[in-house]
Amino acid sequence: MASEHVVVFLLSISVMLFTAKLFGELFNRIKQPAIVGEIFAGIILGPTVLGMISPETFNFLFPQNTEVKVALDGITSLAVIMLLLVSGIEVDLGIVLKQGKTAVTTGVMGIIFPFLTGFGFSYLFPHHMGIQDESMRFVFALFMGTALSISALPVIAKTLMDLKIFNTQIGYIIISAAMFNDLIGWLIFSIILGMIGGELHGLGFGETITLTLVFAAITLLFVRRLIHKILPWVQKNLSFPGGVLNLILILGFLGAAFTEFIGIHAIFGAFIIGIAAGDSAHLSERTREVIHQFITNIFAPLFFVSIGLTVNFIANFNLPLVLIILALSFAGKVIGCGLGAYWTGMSKNESIAIGFGMNSRGTMEIILGLLALQFGLIHESVFVALVIMALFTSIVSAPLMSHFLKGKEGRSFIDLLSPELISFTSFKNKEEVISYLINSLSKIPDNEKDFVFDKVMKREKLISTGIANHLAIPHAKIKIKKPVAAVAVNEYGINFEAEDKFDSRIIILLLTPEDDMQIQLKLLSEIAGKFKNRERVEQLFSFKDKKEFLKNLSEL
Amino acid sequence: MSKIFSKLGLAITFSPTGKALLKEVQRLQKLFDAELVLIHVGEKNYDDEAKLNTLISQAGIDLQSLTIVWASGDPGNAIIRSSREAGVDLLVAGALEKENFMRYYIGSVARKIMREAASSTLILTSPAEQAPRFKRFFVTTDYEPADEKTVTKSFQFALLENAEEFVLIRDFNFPGLSSTIIGSGSAEETQRMRETWVAEEEERMKLYLRELELTGLPVKIKCLYGKEGWEAGNYARENRADLFAVSGPAKKLKFMDRLFHNKIEYLFENLPTNLLIIR
Repeated sequence: MASEHVVVFLLSISVMLFTAKLFGELFNRIKQPAIVGEIFAGIILGPTVLGMISPETFNFLFPQNTEVKVALDGITSLAVIMLLLVSGIEVDLGIVLKQGKTAVTTGVMGIIFPFLTGFGFSYLFPHHMGIQDESMRFVFALFMGTALSISALPVIAKTLMDLKIFNTQIGYIIISAAMFNDLIGWLIFSIILGMIGGELHGLGFGETITLTLVFAAITLLFVRRLIHKILPWVQKNLSFPGGVLNLILILGFLGAAFTEFIGIHAIFGAFIIGIAAGDSAHLSERTREVIHQFITNIFAPLFFVSIGLTVNFIANFNLPLVLIILALSFAGKVIGCGLGAYWTGMSKNESIAIGFGMNSRGTMEIILGLLALQFGLIHESVFVALVIMALFTSIVSAPLMSHFLKGKEGRSFIDLLSPELISFTSFKNKEEVISYLINSLSKIPDNEKDFVFDKVMKREKLISTGIANHLAIPHAKIKIKKPVAAVAVNEYGINFEAEDKFDSRIIILLLTPEDDMQIQLKLLSEIAGKFKNRERVEQLFSFKDKKEFLKNLSEL
Repeated sequence: MSKIFSKLGLAITFSPTGKALLKEVQRLQKLFDAELVLIHVGEKNYDDEAKLNTLISQAGIDLQSLTIVWASGDPGNAIIRSSREAGVDLLVAGALEKENFMRYYIGSVARKIMREAASSTLILTSPAEQAPRFKRFFVTTDYEPADEKTVTKSFQFALLENAEEFVLIRDFNFPGLSSTIIGSGSAEETQRMRETWVAEEEERMKLYLRELELTGLPVKIKCLYGKEGWEAGNYARENRADLFAVSGPAKKLKFMDRLFHNKIEYLFENLPTNLLIIR
């Protein structure tokens, strides 16, 4: 590369990184994913804004048909490979197996339904979907089906984290289903690329698919074990994090080179190597984060900015196409995943929330779209519509999930309560108050109340349930399907033998299903966690209105 | 209190560890006040019978105090079948700590027993003729109903052994967390999340202990964030546990569970110490 081209190349990279960081941070501040800001930065630097306002500056910074463009394209390709490599690292198929029916059904339905929706609509109405080449109708429809069935794990994970449901059953199901979805989605997409690319490498479709499957099997069976054996040595003898990072990147690029060689795109090789490396227990959380940071701070922003540089978003904006793709994407994922979750026992609202959670497309959709654009499979207007869909689904995922999870029964202790289950009492001993609370629970049949009382009292005699800060949680596991609770705010302190020696004035009766220790522990720890601050607990004594008490209890 | 185990079975071969295994199981037989069944896979003939009787005598066991079952067929299947037919509730066997590369996929007799035996199983990694008592018990829990049985049985075992240490371990992780860094997160945020979850888990463990009502020996708790099975196994190994107890798999383990690690497969692959699988 000539010296003046090197200068322009370095300048372009600097401007891209600076603008990406600026907008990424800005969007983060307004609680939006950084990639939205980074793509926005690309749109500003690209033909859409800078190219319109100052074509000279745009052409100077991002000259077409020069070595600079080749170098920038090279970086974009590297970024895509690395994004797929880390995406694979995060896929833990063990948890998919562990989650079993719900995750697999949700994941499978999250592929089949959107795929059929996208494939069917694109095959029947290819011109409404902006087909580029009529002779590619079948492959185009296959691509659109795949594009609508893919999910983006990083965006989904961040959404779950922000909603504080990452470590809940719903969070676990969504993550597992998304991982499964990713694996199948990329496999199908690689096959599509194989259908186009295999011929270019002189291999038939069958040969390409066979080689792909052999590669995946060898990598997951043997290379995976090999990495697991090598990693401790690398971590012990080479510098950290350079050694591990180097090993993962070398293997990732080798895998990518192999799949590119056999006619499947390089991304598939990187993705499968990622899964093999990520499976090793020697790859610690810290190392994973170093790898993510390396890619997130350098390659990912360059990639996302390059999206905006590739296409003019205004000239290629086609509103009907955008609306069709948005409608298909929502319908496919929300109905597909929602049905999958519903069939395996989740409630209606939980199922819809899971559907919206899985609907985040983010990074993966954009990568998929870009590759299809490079292969001449889709028109720029389709690409723009896919990018908009990817961003829109990512942005609305959190609020929609939050809406449908609100008030979900059993989600938290507070959800078990209503004003009718709060009582202001004046009992003198624990037997009286426990008996009263059991009688206040309409969900316990009258003929079972004595039995429940005996069970709670038996528990009390073994180890008293006074916690601390005026709180006692008499509890028992009984034959019920869902947990129930009732609260007494007692005028007098009752001795529940709490650790801090304070008598208890807030007595929470908790009854949970007898075969579910997890839900009992979750609720007990949640209640105990709420009563950490004695001063705030004591303020609760002054409330005489049930609704007001409940509101303040939930805010503890 | 009812017996922890009432009938012990020992899978015995003419290997160099045979005598040590007999000594170990003899000690356990006395400890549990249990019956003993020896299961040997092979054709019953004069030479082998004499060889086995000699081995039993050398171990100082009275031949009248046990039953010998001669089983035939695939060793793993034969041991499992014979122990089930004999009503064994604790099957004891020896095993190497690690399996080699190919064995991991093909499987070995000991691993087959661990995966498929119907009864509880005790796998001894380095049986010794002195047969020392187990002093340090490490038990892992996921709060599943089966884990309550595992913890309480192990605790009773520890009380009988007059153990010095009983550690309850909870290892857990939420895969996909690191990927939030690409989705606008940060390493500080993920670290904070992990610390919060570990702290929450510790509180939960304290409540769990209260529910289990374990008395007579102090119980330590340890919450670890990381790959399930792997972290607990490593912790037990590093802290020189004598016995590691875990619940048996809820469903039959398949090849896929080995390919994409099931929690318990991490323990089977690289035994942290003597492994007690409660079923």
